[in-house]
Amino acid sequence: MSKIDPILLSVYARAFKSIADEMSISVQQSTRSPILCEAKDFVTGLYDGEGNMLEQMENLPILAFSLAPVCKYIIDYYDGNINEGDVFFHNDVFSMGNQNNDVAVYKPIFFDGQLVAWSAVKGHQADIGGNVAGGYNPNATEVWQEALRIPPIKVVEGGKLRKDIWNLIFANIRFDIVQHDMKAQMGACVIGERRMLDLIGKYGLESYQDHKQALFEATKKMMQAEIRKVPNGTYTGEGKVFYDGRHKGSEFTIRVKITVEDEKITFDYEDTDAQTDGFVNGTYTSSASATILTFLQMVNPDIPHNQGMVEPIEILIPEGKILNASYPKATTFGNHLCPPNADAIIRALSPVMPNKVTAGWNNLLCSLSTGKDAEKDDTYVDIFFMGMKGGSGAMDGTDGYDHIGMIDASGGVLDQDYEMFEQQTPHTLIKHEYDMDSAGAGRWRGGLGTETIYEIGSDDTQIVTFGDGDFEGSFGLFGGKGGGLNLIKMTYPDGTEVIPNNKDLITGVPKGTVYFQTAGGGGGYGRPGERDREALAREIRDGIISKEKAAELYDYAEG
Amino acid sequence: MSLKIGIDVGGTFTDFFVDQSGKETRIHKTLSTPSDPSIAVMNGLTDIAESMDPPMSLTELAAAVDTIVHGTTVTTNATLTSNGAKTGLITTEGVRDALEMRRGIREEQYNNRCTNVVPLVPRYLRQGVGGRLDRNGKEIKPLDLNDVQKAIDLFKADGVKAVAICFMNSFANGDHEQRAAELVRREMPEAYLTVSSDLLPSIRFYERVSTTALNSYIGPILDHYLNQLLNRLKDIGFKGILLIMQSNGGVMTPQIAKEKAALTLLSGPAAGPGAGLQYVKAHNQENCIVVDMGGTSFEAALVVGSPVVVNEGEIDRRRLALPMLGIHTIGAGGGSVGWLDEGGLLRMGPESAGAAPGPASYMKGGTKPACTDANLVLGYLNPDFFAGGTMKLDMDAARKAIDEHVATPMGFSIEEAAAGMYRIACMNMAQGIREITIKRGFDPREFPLVVAGGAGPTHSCLICEELQIPFQLVPRESSILCAAGMLMSDLRHDFVRTFVALLNDLDWAALNKVVSAMVDEGNKLLEQENIPEDRRSTIIKLDCRYLRQYHEVSVEVSQSDVDSHNLDAIAAAFHEEHNRLFGYSLEGDADAPVEIINIRVQSVGEVEKPAFRTEEKSSADASYAIKGERSVYIPEDKEFRTVPVYDGHKMVHGNHVDGPAMIEQVTTAIFVGGTFNCVIDQYGSFALYRKDRTDLVSSLIKGETA
Repeated sequence: MSKIDPILLSVYARAFKSIADEMSISVQQSTRSPILCEAKDFVTGLYDGEGNMLEQMENLPILAFSLAPVCKYIIDYYDGNINEGDVFFHNDVFSMGNQNNDVAVYKPIFFDGQLVAWSAVKGHQADIGGNVAGGYNPNATEVWQEALRIPPIKVVEGGKLRKDIWNLIFANIRFDIVQHDMKAQMGACVIGERRMLDLIGKYGLESYQDHKQALFEATKKMMQAEIRKVPNGTYTGEGKVFYDGRHKGSEFTIRVKITVEDEKITFDYEDTDAQTDGFVNGTYTSSASATILTFLQMVNPDIPHNQGMVEPIEILIPEGKILNASYPKATTFGNHLCPPNADAIIRALSPVMPNKVTAGWNNLLCSLSTGKDAEKDDTYVDIFFMGMKGGSGAMDGTDGYDHIGMIDASGGVLDQDYEMFEQQTPHTLIKHEYDMDSAGAGRWRGGLGTETIYEIGSDDTQIVTFGDGDFEGSFGLFGGKGGGLNLIKMTYPDGTEVIPNNKDLITGVPKGTVYFQTAGGGGGYGRPGERDREALAREIRDGIISKEKAAELYDYAEG
Repeated sequence: MSLKIGIDVGGTFTDFFVDQSGKETRIHKTLSTPSDPSIAVMNGLTDIAESMDPPMSLTELAAAVDTIVHGTTVTTNATLTSNGAKTGLITTEGVRDALEMRRGIREEQYNNRCTNVVPLVPRYLRQGVGGRLDRNGKEIKPLDLNDVQKAIDLFKADGVKAVAICFMNSFANGDHEQRAAELVRREMPEAYLTVSSDLLPSIRFYERVSTTALNSYIGPILDHYLNQLLNRLKDIGFKGILLIMQSNGGVMTPQIAKEKAALTLLSGPAAGPGAGLQYVKAHNQENCIVVDMGGTSFEAALVVGSPVVVNEGEIDRRRLALPMLGIHTIGAGGGSVGWLDEGGLLRMGPESAGAAPGPASYMKGGTKPACTDANLVLGYLNPDFFAGGTMKLDMDAARKAIDEHVATPMGFSIEEAAAGMYRIACMNMAQGIREITIKRGFDPREFPLVVAGGAGPTHSCLICEELQIPFQLVPRESSILCAAGMLMSDLRHDFVRTFVALLNDLDWAALNKVVSAMVDEGNKLLEQENIPEDRRSTIIKLDCRYLRQYHEVSVEVSQSDVDSHNLDAIAAAFHEEHNRLFGYSLEGDADAPVEIINIRVQSVGEVEKPAFRTEEKSSADASYAIKGERSVYIPEDKEFRTVPVYDGHKMVHGNHVDGPAMIEQVTTAIFVGGTFNCVIDQYGSFALYRKDRTDLVSSLIKGETA
C-alpha cells in the first residue's frame, strides 16, 4: 500500500471532477439533438474497475445515480469477457436503467492490460423506437409500447464496430441524429479514457488504487457526519401524484418513512401506493436517484460524489409499488415522480431540519413537440425545457430561485437559447418571461414561475405533455404560502381551445396554433407579514408582484 | 531618445515600466486615484521625468515617449462592485428577462442557499419593443418605433446613462437594431450605446444580450476615463501612440476600446501570464502559474506553452462571449479587510480598503484592519521603507485597528490576530490557484510559481507551503509585472465573418474574397498603428462542424492551403481537432459532410520588446547586501524570530540567501520563509526553492553551497 498523500488525494478528487466535466463539454458541443446540445439532458461519469462511482457530472441528477449500478451489472453480465477496445450500450429499465430514452454508453479503461476504470455517458435520446416519436407514450401499458429495450450489449468489440448489432439497434429508432448522438457519447467516453490513462500513468496504478479507496473512506465519513446532525428517529411524509394517463381523476400517494440511526439513514417506501397500469411508474434506480438528490440538498453541498457518499444511505422500495414497477410495466414517466417523492421527503424532515429544507418546489409540467420542419424538409424533436421551469421553494434566510425548474435537475438543465430554438424547430417564440404574482408568499418568498408562448410553425405537429402540478401547486412551510399552478393551453387558428391533460398525446396540431404555458412558482417560507418592505417595494417597481397582491398577501401599503 | 512606457492602473497602485531602447529599464509605482485614475498616471509620469538622468520636465518626457501601453481595471472594478453606469435595455417584446434568467442555470445544483446574480439592468429598465425577424433575418413584424420612443422617454426620465439594444435574430439582420439605434442616438445623444449586431454579430441570444448589456454598463466608465487620460496626455505634448491592453493578451487603440469596452474586462491582468513565461524561460520552463497580488485583488493564470485562452467566459457569473485569457480573480490583496462573520469566524476580504481610505497604517482615514496592517505587525513590512520610504506606515494605527476589530473580539493578542489574518489571506489565495490547476486536472507542484504584485512575495512562501509548490520566481519587475508585460504584448485584432458553406462544395473565389477583405482590414489598422509590413502576420481560422451539429471547432489553416485550394489539408485538420476535443471523428462518413460557419482572422503586429539583460554570474556570498536585521513572524514555528534584512537592489546573479530572511526592494518585500532558500538567476530574478530541492536551481548554485 503506497502512502496516502493528502494533497494528492485532493488532486485525484479534483482531476476526476474535471475529467467528468470535460466529458460533459464534449457531449454538449458535439451532439445534434437540442435535448442534449442545448438543454444538457445528460450525465457523464467515471467508475473504478469494480463499477464504483469515482465522480459524476450531473447536469440532470435523476439520470446519474443509476450509472454505477448498471456498470456493476455489466461487469457481472459479461463475467470476464470485457476487453480493451470494447464499448457497451444500455437502456433497459428492467436491468436497472432509469428511463428508456436515457441510453448509456460504457467504456472499460485498461491500464497495462488490467481493467482499472470505466467512463460512461448517459443522455436522453431524441427517439428510442416504440409507439410514439420522442418516446413519451401516455397510452402505454407495457414496455414494448414505449421503447426498444437495450439490455447490456457490446456494440464495439476490441475496437471494431459490430455492424450487425449497430444496424439492429438503429433500424428500430426513428431519427438518424440518434446514431450520431450515440457516436458523440462514445467520443466523450474516449475523452474520459484518455484523461484517466494520463492520470494513472502519471502517478502509477498503485497510487491511483490506494487514493481512490482513501477518497471513498473520507467521503463516507463526511456523509456520516452530516447524517449524525439529524436527530435519531423515524419521520414520515407524503407526496401526491395526479392522473396516471389513463383514468381520469386517478390519484396516488407516495409515502416515505425515514429512519435516522446515528450515521445511517434509511428511506422506506413500503407504505407507498401500488404501481399503475399506465406509464406513471418508476424504476428502482429512478426513484432511488430522486431520493438521493433530494437528501443531498439538505447536507453540505461540497461532499464529493462518489461511492463513499451513497454508502450510508439505504433505500427500500418493494417491487410492485408506483416507485418500483414490476416487469413488464410501462415506466417512461418514472423520472417525473421525483417532485412528489421530494415533497414527501421534505415534509418528513422539515420538523427536524427546519433550517436545511426548502418549501415545496414547482412540480414539472413539460411538453415535447415533434414533426416536420417544412422549410428545412427535415424532422425535429424538441423537449420544451424553457416552458417548464418554475420556481424553487424558499428556505429560512433565502428566497426561492426564480425559473429554476424541477427539483430533479435543480438548475442543471437549461432553457434552449431562444435563437437556437428557432433554428432547431419551425416554431416562433412569442414570450418567455417571469410570471407576475406566481411566487408563493412568505417572509422568504418562493422562486418565480414563468409564462411562455410560442407559435407552432408546421402543420401536423404532435404535442406530448407529461407532468403534474396542474391540480396542486407547490406548498409553503412555517406560515409561507404555496405557489401557483402549471397550465398548458393551445389555441388553434380557428379559435378552438385545447387544454391537454397533464399526460397526453395531441396529434395533428395545425400551423399557426398558439401554445401557451405557465410554470408555477415555489412555496414561501415563514409568515408573509415579516417580509422585508424594501424588497416588496422593489418587486412592485419591477413588476413581479402586483400592488393588489402585495396588499392582500403581505398587507403592504405603498408610501 | 525613444521611450516606451507600460502603465497598469490597479485598484490601489498604478504601476509603470519604462523601456529606454536598450538602456536600463525603470520601474515606478504610485498610489492610484480612483475618482480619476488618470491623475495617478500623470503623478507617476511626473515622478519618472524627475528621476531621469539627467532630470526632464514632464513635457520633455512626453516628447521622448513614442508608445504608451496601458492596462486598466476600471471596467473590471465597476462590474465587480456593481458601480457601472445606469443602463437601459431595449429588446424584443416578450424576452426582456433573458438577461436575468441566464437560461435558468443554478451553478450549485445542491446548494439551496445559492442565489441568482443581480442583473446589470433592473427589470423595470428592460423594455420590450414590438417588431420581429424570423430565423433567417426576414421581417415578420415591423419594428414599432413608438415602443422604442416610450423606452427612451422612460430612460430619460430615470437618468439612464447607457443603452443596450439587442433584438431576436439580429445576428442575421441588423436592420431593426440599427433603426432603433438611430432613434436613441437622436434622442439621447449623450448616452453610451451598444448595438448587439455591431459588437457580436453571432447567433445565441443569451450570449449576445449579456455581452451587449455588459458593454453598455461599463462603456461610459471607460469612455470617460480614456477621454480624461487622452486630454491629459495631449496637454503635456504626448504625440506618440497610446495602446490599450485587451483581455485576449493583445493590445488595441483607444478608439476600438471605447466602442468595445467589454474587451477590457481583463485588461489589467492580461499582460501578466505572457510576461511570466518570459522569466521562467531562464529556467528552461515553458509552463508556469502566474499570480499577481495587488492592493485589491489576486489573479492567477496558467501558462501551458502559452497563456491559456478561452473563447468565451464569465465575469461574476455573467456571460461574456469574447476571446480572453483564462484568468481567475478573487478579492484578496494588501487592502483586504479582516472581519468576523456571524459565527465569529475570522474572514479576509473581499472588501478592500483600496487606496482611499486605505489600510489603517496608511493614516489616510482608514480604520479597518487590512492585510497590509497585519504584515506590518508581523514584521514583513518595514514602516520606514514602504515604497522605498516615500510612504510612512503607522504601526500604532495598524495595531489599534487589529486590536479593535479582530484581537479583542476573538480574545487574541494583536500578534496572534495578525498571524491569523495573514494565514487566512494565504489560504484564500491558495484556493484561487487550485481553481486554475487542480480543478482543471493539473498538479500545481509541477509548475514554477511566478510571483507578482507588490504584496505577492510577502505571502508566496506560505501559499507554496499550502500547495507544496517547490519553486517560485520573483522577477525584479515583480511588483509591476503586468506593466512590463504590456510592452511585451503584440497588437492583436480579431475579426469574424459568418460564411456558411459545405467544405466539399466550396466557392474558393468567394472565400478568398472574404479572407482578403478581412486581412486588408487588419493591415489597415496595423498601418495606422505604424507597424511596418515585415512585422505583420495573419492567423486564419475556419470554424467548422459536421452538418447538423450546432457547435463549431476552430481550425487554423495556412494562407498557402487557402491559396492552393487544399481541401484535404483543411478537412484533415478539422477531423483531427474534432477527435482531439471530442474523442472521435466522422472522417469518411458520407452522411457527415463538413460545414464551414465562420471565418476568423487575427492580424498581429509584432512590437519591439524590451531586451532581457543577462547578468554576469557573481559569488554566492550576499552578506555585503545585508542592511540590518529585524524580528519577523515565522508561520511554521508560530513565533517571532530575528532575521537578516537584505537590500535586494544590491544583490546580483549567483547571490544566495538562506531562509528565513527578508529581502527588501523599493516596491516589494520578499519574505523568504524558513523552508525556502533564495538564489538570484541570470535575469536578476529571485529564485526561491525548497531547501531540499537544490536540484531545481543546480546550475545557479553548483559547487557554491552545501
